[in-house]
Amino acid sequence: MNDGGLSSSALLTRQRRAAWVAENIMPYEPRIRAWLRRWQVSPEDSDELLQDAYCRIALLESVDHIDRPVAYFFSIVRNLLARRHRRQRIVSLELIAEVDAFQDSPALGLEDQMSDRLIYEKIIALIDALPNRCREIVRLRKLEDWPQKRIAAHLQISEKTVEAQIRIGLRAIREAWDKRDAETWSRSDDRHQAGAKVR
Amino acid sequence: MSRPSLTDMRDEANAWVARMDQGNWSPTDEARLQDWLAVDPSRHGALLQAQAMWTMLRPTAEPPARHNDVPDLGAPNTDGIRSRRLPSRRAVIAGGGTALAASLVGGTVLLRPRTVLRTDLGEIRHVPLDDGSIASLNTGSEVDVMFRRNRRDIRLTQGEAWFQVAKNRARPFLVESGPIRVLAVGTAFSVRRREAGADVVVTEGVVEIWSEDVSAKRTRLVEGQSVFMADTAQVHDIAVATTSSDHTLAWRSGRIELVDEPLADAISEFNRYNRRRLVLLDPQIAGKRLDGFFRTDDIDGFARAVNASFDVPVDFSRADEIRIGQIKPIT
Repeated sequence: MNDGGLSSSALLTRQRRAAWVAENIMPYEPRIRAWLRRWQVSPEDSDELLQDAYCRIALLESVDHIDRPVAYFFSIVRNLLARRHRRQRIVSLELIAEVDAFQDSPALGLEDQMSDRLIYEKIIALIDALPNRCREIVRLRKLEDWPQKRIAAHLQISEKTVEAQIRIGLRAIREAWDKRDAETWSRSDDRHQAGAKVR
Repeated sequence: MSRPSLTDMRDEANAWVARMDQGNWSPTDEARLQDWLAVDPSRHGALLQAQAMWTMLRPTAEPPARHNDVPDLGAPNTDGIRSRRLPSRRAVIAGGGTALAASLVGGTVLLRPRTVLRTDLGEIRHVPLDDGSIASLNTGSEVDVMFRRNRRDIRLTQGEAWFQVAKNRARPFLVESGPIRVLAVGTAFSVRRREAGADVVVTEGVVEIWSEDVSAKRTRLVEGQSVFMADTAQVHDIAVATTSSDHTLAWRSGRIELVDEPLADAISEFNRYNRRRLVLLDPQIAGKRLDGFFRTDDIDGFARAVNASFDVPVDFSRADEIRIGQIKPIT
């Protein structure tokens, strides 16, 4: 990429970390949200907890030692939640221990590999739901892999506009991603619970 | 943190990602981004989340490279370190030489009488040592303390101990566990004797570790790192892990903290502390993963939790053991 200097090395390091998260953690985020919801954590509090957990991941020197990224991430989230409860003295430590430990056994759900197909469909749906112009730009960028510059030339708009549209698209997609969890995932989670018992 | 600022932070992160995506990232951009990140550490989380979402929107992309070939400034621990896979290493059988090494040490003339510290099954002791250091002994452990004028020698003959070492450059603090040696000046770390090696977890400072059986070549472990070192391990052959030591050392406050632990390992952990044994009858569920924290003596609570979460039968009827699962008839 770029000039091989320090700035591009930092950029590359960040991109790799993001790619690692995108592949190993983010597809499972809805299940973690569903778990938080069952503990009556509000969506706003969940946003904060998840962001704090991602912060831990961002600040790790390396992620090479993490064999099971989702489980690792989930244990960070759970610890942050337990710590918050302790701080707020909502419940006793013993209760947290019980709560925290096993009732939900979320590790079970996280173990299941999500199929690439399912992830693909979710992503296409997210992009399709964008407003017209924004959708076209995001499609060209992500599905056709055109650079922003080429998109700008093709649509005869400024590069700044393309960048701004990408920001808007990303915001809308993230909002949709956070919201759609609430509808779709509680259902699949219930099914999962049932499935776990049969095994 | 107030909620509106979280929304703002998220959107600012989106803007940075859009900017980075443009493909002409400059040192000036990087400096600006660093300034933005420095304002609030949680911005690192916001940025990573936004960037990961943007990356994920690329269903046709090649799987991302797993290894970071860009040297990361200020990351000394990543080179040549592989992830730790304990089970295979635990299987390494110790070679000869252990007895010889031990007898040589035993034959040394001591200036001070040797003190032996022991704990019974389920017992945990915190013992202040003469030099101001503290030894915490886990269940069923034995430690020989041999302090001399110019050195502090500790031998862990069985079990596990954590040491908070008082700083004294003139008197190195050396822990022996079989042929494994862990040397500290002023630091805190734990050593756990295993069948054919030792686990070492460093909670503070730096230690040097080696095996007398193999060579005197040493490896440095720093705060936050842990390792299982087989008695026969070559120094270049050991795998260092950078993990949080909090849960592996929960025993110091009488607790077992399980983080993504296979059921079989969790059971043997409880069995270290209790006379009443947990017995797993169904090997098929041995690999199920668990999270949670318990008192070390709360095997009932643990068994009930296993029962509730995996829906396996648990039999409490015997005084000497709790049976988990049942042997499935062959179908």
